[in-house]
Amino acid sequence: MLQILFNSLLNGAIIAPPAIAFTLMFAILRFPNFAIGAYITVGAFAILYFNDMLGWPLVAATLAGMAVTAAIVWLTDAIVFRPMRHLPSVTMLVVSIALSLILENIVRLLFGGDVRGFDIPLMRPVKLPGLRFTWEQLNIVGIAALATLAMHGLLKYTKLGKAMRATADNFTLAEVRGIGTARVITATWLIGGALAGLSGLMAGLDLVIEPLLGWYLTIPVFAAAILGGIGSPMGAVLGAVCVGLAEELTAEFLAPTYKVGVGFVIIAVLLLFRPQGLFGQPEIKK
Amino acid sequence: MTVYLVSMLTYVGFFMILALALNLQWGMTGMVNFGIAGFYALGAYTSSLLTVDAGWPFVAGVSAAGAVGLIAGIGVSFLSVRLRDDFLAIVTLGFAELVRLVALNEDWLTRGPRGLPIDVRPLSDVFDRDGYGWFYLGIVMLTVAVAFLIFERLRRSPYGRVMKAIREDDVVAATLGKDVLRVRVQVFALGSMFMGIAGALYAHYTQNISPEHFTPTVAIFIWMSVIAGGAGNNKGLLIGAGMVMTLLEGTRFLGDAISFLDAEKLASIRIIVIGVLLILVIRFRPRGILPEEKFDGARFGAGRDAANGGGNP
Repeated sequence: MLQILFNSLLNGAIIAPPAIAFTLMFAILRFPNFAIGAYITVGAFAILYFNDMLGWPLVAATLAGMAVTAAIVWLTDAIVFRPMRHLPSVTMLVVSIALSLILENIVRLLFGGDVRGFDIPLMRPVKLPGLRFTWEQLNIVGIAALATLAMHGLLKYTKLGKAMRATADNFTLAEVRGIGTARVITATWLIGGALAGLSGLMAGLDLVIEPLLGWYLTIPVFAAAILGGIGSPMGAVLGAVCVGLAEELTAEFLAPTYKVGVGFVIIAVLLLFRPQGLFGQPEIKK
Repeated sequence: MTVYLVSMLTYVGFFMILALALNLQWGMTGMVNFGIAGFYALGAYTSSLLTVDAGWPFVAGVSAAGAVGLIAGIGVSFLSVRLRDDFLAIVTLGFAELVRLVALNEDWLTRGPRGLPIDVRPLSDVFDRDGYGWFYLGIVMLTVAVAFLIFERLRRSPYGRVMKAIREDDVVAATLGKDVLRVRVQVFALGSMFMGIAGALYAHYTQNISPEHFTPTVAIFIWMSVIAGGAGNNKGLLIGAGMVMTLLEGTRFLGDAISFLDAEKLASIRIIVIGVLLILVIRFRPRGILPEEKFDGARFGAGRDAANGGGNP
């Protein structure tokens, strides 16, 4: 029981940061960015580069990797999305799917298709009665919790956060009231990229690093964001934990390779019966 | 060389059927389908398993593939009732992934990643090897022609105008007394049926199918064909499908010219090229080579979102 709970939190922890990123991008830019999975892959490989190839310690490599990912994600906006912002959201979705294939295959070109892992010392798992976990897993849950709190603080208490919420709520009104929406959009991409990079670290620690890493996470991330009521960052976190729980419960009788399928079924059922999400907040409230 | 050309044309034929079907669903009716690979795979596996394991004849297998595609299409399209079109895209993509996962993991049925060999081919004892290529090309092109004629006929009929009305604004179509749900389900199911048939024809042609043939990149190739050719225009996408295949095959020869590129790197480059081109086409020529013949000013895709700047949920 305790183990199931911990594993659900762990599954949820990996998809929570990108789910926040995805939902923020959706709230402000008004299209579902499918490339979120590819951003995670880019993050994992950026961190891998600093950690494994340059030999940096993992913390430094993570910070550098997050910065690189944020920069790349911002670049995808500057080059690809910004000139097309007037197009319908479905078109943007097509573009983002194409972009995610491009990013994934650039990673494949640069690093090859082999399975890799971070250069970290192996540690003995911790065994408590009814619970078994590794230190990495504990770190993952802790980091995700910290990232969630940080995002909550940012959105609620900083000026930038306020501007972001206003822009999400009503783009035109925010612009009229003198909020620098261009700056808000830039911040959204940078924050989204950093969160995807962080998720790359966590996914890389818990799973293996390969070019398809993010692809497997895309559907669960979507499921979490939709479950939490799209556009609501804290809802996305709750959604992530729910998706994590669903994945864990179905793992009892389904092969773990069906994880993507679980996410899909959640999305389909939910969109049919409760399109505003479980936690029913369609927009970020003031 | 002729053998190569004939085989390439056959592959273009599969692309054409898929592109025609996608154009029916998305180009004409505005229903986004990223699950093309799913319906394609369903058809391929249905016909293969029925002909190889259950001993059905070729024609029965292909028909069954169409029927399964039809039924799956009805199921998936019911999701479109409540869904914004961008979410329908995600659901269809998830559907395709689910089909692929089942094909990959249910070893007892599909032989998993090892692939399923198919030795059933119609009239294989009548023709020699070269002649058979031509014969099969004939079957595929006949299917293309049938799909083309049906879809063109639909497009010009009153039914086709209802489809376009739904694409432009489903609320208006419903207000005018059109049964929007019924048309959507019918159109989606018809398109999916042809995708299933294309899958079956593909399976009996390559004689070996495995889950890796049905990745989401298939959907990207077909979307590329339709968008490059001109969404809503059945003739344009035939050209589009030919172009995409030429591009795919053309990059194959890069490997001979540049020696340090191995097959894996080439496959990556090919997908990057297609992806970049798709984005460039959408940006600079969103209505394709042959734009839809029409008088309304709708832009690329379901035009209704463009009006309010990207569609609120």
